[in-house]
Amino acid sequence: MKASALCALVFAVLAATNIQAEDIVVIVNPAAKAISKDQIADLYLGRSGGLTPIDQTAGSAIYVQFYKQATGRDVAQVKAIWSRILFTGRGLPPKQLPDSAAVKQAIAANPNAVGYIEKSAVDASVKVVLPLD
Amino acid sequence: MNFKLKLAAAASTFALGTMPGHADTTIGQYVTLSGFGTLGEVHSDYRQADFTGEFLQPHGAGFSRSWSPTPDSDLGGQADLRIADGLTGVVQVISRDNADGNYKPRVEWANIKYAFTADLAVRVGRTLLPTYERSDSQNVGYALPWVRVPNEIRYSNSATHSDGVDLLYRVKTGAVIQDLQVQFGRTSEDFSGAVFHGKDLIVLSDTLQYGNASVHLAYQTMMYTYSVLPAARFRLASAGFTYDPGAWFVTGDGNYAHYDFFGDFFAWYLSVGMRVGRFTPYLIYSTEDQPTSAPPSGLTELGDERTVGAGVRWDFAKNIDFKLQLQRVTIETRDAPASFNNVQPGLRVGDKANVVSLTLDFVF
Repeated sequence: MKASALCALVFAVLAATNIQAEDIVVIVNPAAKAISKDQIADLYLGRSGGLTPIDQTAGSAIYVQFYKQATGRDVAQVKAIWSRILFTGRGLPPKQLPDSAAVKQAIAANPNAVGYIEKSAVDASVKVVLPLD
Repeated sequence: MNFKLKLAAAASTFALGTMPGHADTTIGQYVTLSGFGTLGEVHSDYRQADFTGEFLQPHGAGFSRSWSPTPDSDLGGQADLRIADGLTGVVQVISRDNADGNYKPRVEWANIKYAFTADLAVRVGRTLLPTYERSDSQNVGYALPWVRVPNEIRYSNSATHSDGVDLLYRVKTGAVIQDLQVQFGRTSEDFSGAVFHGKDLIVLSDTLQYGNASVHLAYQTMMYTYSVLPAARFRLASAGFTYDPGAWFVTGDGNYAHYDFFGDFFAWYLSVGMRVGRFTPYLIYSTEDQPTSAPPSGLTELGDERTVGAGVRWDFAKNIDFKLQLQRVTIETRDAPASFNNVQPGLRVGDKANVVSLTLDFVF
């Protein structure tokens, strides 16, 4: 009896964390090439150019989770890194869009763009290149 | 009257409707404004000299006053311009305690950049010199892990910026990203009472990045004049590295400078830190030493000192951090130790200064 209650609790907690931390995928234009996790980190931390990274709103749940999983860094660290890039005239931080629908729209329209959205939000307008965990 | 009111209402509706979330309308398409700043207070228990935030500052904490806001406090504003495809510009103005002891704003960056390709660009205008790994962002407190870049490594070069032209070339070799720079220019720096002029300035720099590791190498040379001294050559070589996987970091940097008149200078630092939630405690050791025996200036220990420090960065709110740094500076010369000004007759080699620094760094 006790064991099953514990099991139920564990499942409830797992379910709760699952809802809180939904799977995120990195997406590109259907016409674009594949991209590795290292390349994603380089791109979103401003180490390399070429492609156009697209961001979600700074501090939003998906933003926090993406940077943790893709770069191992929290919001303040990311801000510090981009402050250095910005205030040395090397570039502007990725453009932030309000939600995953807007990110998909931007990616579908630009073969050089890279973005991230919830796995559940994926549709045929974009191509998944990397699941994050 | 009624018409005017209606017009005003329409205008405000228009403004409300277009402003938020629509930064890419008209002017926002071409200009991006941003800024940074630091509010700082420094205390030094050493009364025979003023501890400063860089060697140019005439006053600081210790002799003139017990606590001083001038070593670290600053405010900067920047405009990034998108002129056309591939053509961008940046202007940054900063107000910071200078050689004249005031906060008169100065232009830190002002250049136009044209990107021929994604990897090749040319810049014309003013840039900061890559004298050490973080010299390009030394006054942006929010971008630094410490309260300030160690004074010792700042001491080696009298110049901070270059007015000229440079080529930037990015080379990718597998996962290694290399940023190469060649720069030609001139420079001048206001000291209190005299101006340091440098011409025929040539800079070569290479920044290598491999994932979380980076290495910075740079070389610069120029002909300089200072006050009544004859023109002489300056050369500087520097090497720095950072490894920062996110949860902790280690970084070190060194430079070796040679002035025909003032002799050689060798400065370096090493720092480690780790991230514990919103806190980033760190340790730092830095030193500056003049290794030559007899330069024409007759000064053999210019700037000599060493510092042991510990501190913590606290990212307590969005876009703002608080830092506390404790350090002990051991003075190894009577001739302008790197961190100090207003040296008093009572200063003795081997004296120690205990310095407490508090800062709030912000970006906007």
